[in-house]
Amino acid sequence: MATAAADPRCRCGTLGLSAEAAALLLAFAMRESEAPAVELGSALERLDQGLRPAAGAPGRETLSRDLAACVRALQFHDRLMQQLAVIRNLLTRLADHPLPQMAGFGAQRWEELLAALRERLAAGAHDELFELLVRTGGVGAVRDAGADQAEGSSELF
Amino acid sequence: MARILAVDDSPSMRQLVKLALSSGGHEVDVATDGVEALQVAEKQQFDVVITDVNMPNMDGIALVRELRRRTNYRFTPLLMLTTEATAERKQQGKEAGATGWLVKPFDPDRLLSIVTKVLA
Repeated sequence: MATAAADPRCRCGTLGLSAEAAALLLAFAMRESEAPAVELGSALERLDQGLRPAAGAPGRETLSRDLAACVRALQFHDRLMQQLAVIRNLLTRLADHPLPQMAGFGAQRWEELLAALRERLAAGAHDELFELLVRTGGVGAVRDAGADQAEGSSELF
Repeated sequence: MARILAVDDSPSMRQLVKLALSSGGHEVDVATDGVEALQVAEKQQFDVVITDVNMPNMDGIALVRELRRRTNYRFTPLLMLTTEATAERKQQGKEAGATGWLVKPFDPDRLLSIVTKVLA
């Protein structure tokens, strides 16, 4: 008799559960980081407004440069969110269940997921999930080769 | 001073574009996707529209195409501001009627200079 770990149906089920759990965790983490990023953006807006009357004052130019650096740096949060959204969508495709709406998501499904994972998660499941992600091409699809050179570029038609 | 519409589904990106442009003395309104942008653009005339490409409901390229169909936006500078940098997507933007293609992350001064240039 085949063991549970060797049963391909069982592995697929575990992968599906792992994928759903991973997608949910990602979705939560992304949602959690949105408010602080917006808060930081608002703080920068206030700083900018506060600095306007000080135009020409000593140190004003340095502060403006710092503000511009903050604007550039905070855009990497947006980029990270986009990359995580691609990964979340890939995981959702692998999941056994479609992801519930975050707003209506209760603890019940999470508990069910954890219980099922505890029961079924094989040692190699994480590796399999990673291999599956790589095979789908999602990792390469996130960014094109050479995109680094294009960062910050502009072209008028 | 110009009246600018910034369209992006990311709240922080909307803030950053608004911050960069308003520090240059421009008046900036925001919209979260192409559908909302069209509604806002129909209520008031903007001198420049800066839009992201990938957005829910209506993407930036469809928005540009829709705006170009309207007489009052036929000659308005429409800039794409996106992480996408492939020649294929740029060509799609160009064919839709975009005035220019800017790749994120943007530099605030550079964005202001481009806006000044397309307004001239």
